[in-house]
Amino acid sequence: MRQKSSSNGFIEHSLMGVLSFIKTSLFAEEYALKRGFMQSLDQRIKTLSFVLLIIATLLTKNILVVFCLYLFCLFLAAISKIGLGFFLKRTWVFIPLFSLFVALPALFSNFTPGAELISFKIAGFPLVITRPGVLTVLLFVLRVAAAVSFAVLLSITTRHFDLLKVLRIFGIPQVFVMTLGVCYRYIYLLIGIIENTYLAIKSRVGSVVHYKRGQQIVGWNIAFLWVRSCRLNEDVYKAMLSRGYSGQPYVLDDFRTRLKDWLWLAFTGVILIWIIRFFH
Amino acid sequence: MDYPVFSLKNVWFSYLGRFPALAAVDIDIKPGEKISIIGANGSGKSTLLHLLDGLIFADKGLVNFCGKELNEKSFNDIEFSADFRRKVGFVFQNPDVQLFCPSVKEDIIFGPLQLGVAKNEIQSRLERFVTILGIRDLLDRSPNQLSIGEKRKVAVASTLIIEPDIIILDEPTAGLDPSTTRHIIDLLLDENVAGKTIITSTHDLHIVGEISDTVYVFGADKRIVKSGPADNILNDLALLTANNLVHIHSHRHKDKMHIHPHVHLDHHDEEH
Repeated sequence: MRQKSSSNGFIEHSLMGVLSFIKTSLFAEEYALKRGFMQSLDQRIKTLSFVLLIIATLLTKNILVVFCLYLFCLFLAAISKIGLGFFLKRTWVFIPLFSLFVALPALFSNFTPGAELISFKIAGFPLVITRPGVLTVLLFVLRVAAAVSFAVLLSITTRHFDLLKVLRIFGIPQVFVMTLGVCYRYIYLLIGIIENTYLAIKSRVGSVVHYKRGQQIVGWNIAFLWVRSCRLNEDVYKAMLSRGYSGQPYVLDDFRTRLKDWLWLAFTGVILIWIIRFFH
Repeated sequence: MDYPVFSLKNVWFSYLGRFPALAAVDIDIKPGEKISIIGANGSGKSTLLHLLDGLIFADKGLVNFCGKELNEKSFNDIEFSADFRRKVGFVFQNPDVQLFCPSVKEDIIFGPLQLGVAKNEIQSRLERFVTILGIRDLLDRSPNQLSIGEKRKVAVASTLIIEPDIIILDEPTAGLDPSTTRHIIDLLLDENVAGKTIITSTHDLHIVGEISDTVYVFGADKRIVKSGPADNILNDLALLTANNLVHIHSHRHKDKMHIHPHVHLDHHDEEH
């Protein structure tokens, strides 16, 4: 009985944890609303400049330059009032660590021959870490970390609906951008429905449920959510028709640029040209 | 010739051809009139409003808008469709359905943008309605972050900004606190004074007297049971009880139990 209770608790915590993670990661705009340097830039210019910085990071073959770009990203985070601890946790947790595992074999002489740095044996099998191997792995991981950091910095200093609007300047069709926006809006609503349904079930059946009954409840819940989302889909379309939508959405372009935005864009452009010229 | 804005003759509608939602409905709505549709849950009120807004079409019978028949074919005419959407605004019962954009501002200006209103005109209308409804602080927020009252105000703004001649509202005060209810009712009365036709579905009898010249009562059989001036309908307790619009209320004074029909007609004059 005790075991069942703890496994239910585990499922409950996992479910609520996933929902809460989606809510906080997708919908938290705490940092985007702060008055920092990145937040003060025009969203289009900012996105374009970050694309240039990411390209520069990917093109350079000099490990020191990549490291400087990474430090520059941390500096930008600091002047945008992003806590360093939060930023490092957000950027290092998954992708750069994963890339380290992917790149690990390149450390060894079997994949990257060169001057020996360290040699050892595992289960009688000799392994040699080479100097070019270490540099290759370091460059790869640092490059991924810097690129991910720039992307994360852009996403947390920009309100998500602004990011969606910015997609338009890259030639993405308006109807696609609008569909993404509507999806974004209703994911939140559906998460709310899941949470409330879960609480309603819990309030009626208690916290311990036999796994067969649990399967039935989950199955029913999925079906219920499906029906709700279908109905929502029809109603939202009616609401759009009612306000004059005829298949081709029109939106208000209310972006405004200032001298500061253009200077920033020019600066990032210079970094890219400098890297292509000297370090590519 | 001065046509009624809406004229319905012997209108029938059913969902999936199996579940009746409206039966033999006859209604004429004149320009500038205030109409209320009242009835219990599931009596067909929302269906009727969707039909008036050209979102669904009658199975049988005739629905005319300003003398022109409303059917699927008429909405294939782009000019007619745009003209209809400019003239008829609809506030949905569930504001979450109506607020589908990622930000409040985008939601409010969605209608006029689709209808080709000039950008400076949209800006000036936006200024006006956010001031009237007191929602300026909400403009950059996501609809997810709003309370039900705020959502309702934004939904009303997103319809009124189209400046329609006819405003259809599906339970506009459901779930609202008295102050927000008052705000929305006052706004609708102002719009009516300015010549707009107001069609409201509700089962909140508090507001019916104020927002109705004519009241239509729908019964469980999806038909109009009775129609007439608001006073006549609201004073007909037998009719209201039979159609689940009043409830039997029991309470105790000292040692004596009282049981009587309970009607909520006015927030301010309630005495017990």
